[in-house]
Amino acid sequence: MSTRESQLDKHLEALFGGLDTAADFDARLMARLRAESQTDAGERAIRARQQERERYRKALLALQSWRRSVLRLLTLDTLGIAFLLVVAVVTAWPRLNDVLDISRQYGPYLATLLGVLIAAVPLVGMWAERTRGPIRLL
Amino acid sequence: MELVRAQRQDEAIALLLPAFRRKVFGLAYSFLRNREAAEDVTQDVFIKVWRALPGFDGRASLSTWIYTISRNASLSALRARRPQSSLSDPEVMDAVEAIDSAPSADAMVDHAALLRLVDQLPTKQRQVIMLFYMEEQSHEEVANMLAMPVGTVKTLLHRARARLSAAVDN
Repeated sequence: MSTRESQLDKHLEALFGGLDTAADFDARLMARLRAESQTDAGERAIRARQQERERYRKALLALQSWRRSVLRLLTLDTLGIAFLLVVAVVTAWPRLNDVLDISRQYGPYLATLLGVLIAAVPLVGMWAERTRGPIRLL
Repeated sequence: MELVRAQRQDEAIALLLPAFRRKVFGLAYSFLRNREAAEDVTQDVFIKVWRALPGFDGRASLSTWIYTISRNASLSALRARRPQSSLSDPEVMDAVEAIDSAPSADAMVDHAALLRLVDQLPTKQRQVIMLFYMEEQSHEEVANMLAMPVGTVKTLLHRARARLSAAVDN
């Protein structure tokens, strides 16, 4: 490095080497942090209260929506199905052994039949959809 | 990190402040070229660091994280501050006076002229020159501060010094 360059280095070092904040910088920052900390504590408490209120409101809404969906299920159809199920169980109960024998004997067939029925429902639906002609007003 | 995990941000900041205050200030100053604005940004950076410390996951190094916050804060301040001041503003000249506790008349003239020359450098070269001489001539630290490869810092520094040398000769 030439003397001229080292002179330049020295000047630049003198210019920027001592660059620093004002003497009271740390004190000012700490005071600001303390103020922020107090504000933060207050804000945190308000936020916590708001969050708790929000959680309660959401839980209440979920409960209400669950209640509504249960009530929506209580139609004449579902009541009828439930009644038929109860009748079926009450009728089958005294002959439980016979029912079990039959299910053991015909179990695979019954399962196959159920599978076919379940698979047929969407197929029948699709077929009905395709065969339905355009709606004519006249 | 242990202090952060223990929710003792105040103690963490008290440790970070002496280690990073000058660096953050220098970085902000290299963007803003105004002492007061750079101090304001430095304060804001430490407040942001204090607030964000609990969320710091340690994926990046602490210094890289702090420098990223500093660069973003400086750029925001720079955008908000128009018209731009320069290193050769009267207040910067006052700062030059403050740098030398007992300057000779010649040194003052040299420094003031040199400041004006540094001020005329392209932004990146100016930043690299300032931070390099502020940061005890560490290429790596300047590269980390400006998020640049070390090679780029060396190139910029070389060009800036060549320019300054030529200007001083003239």
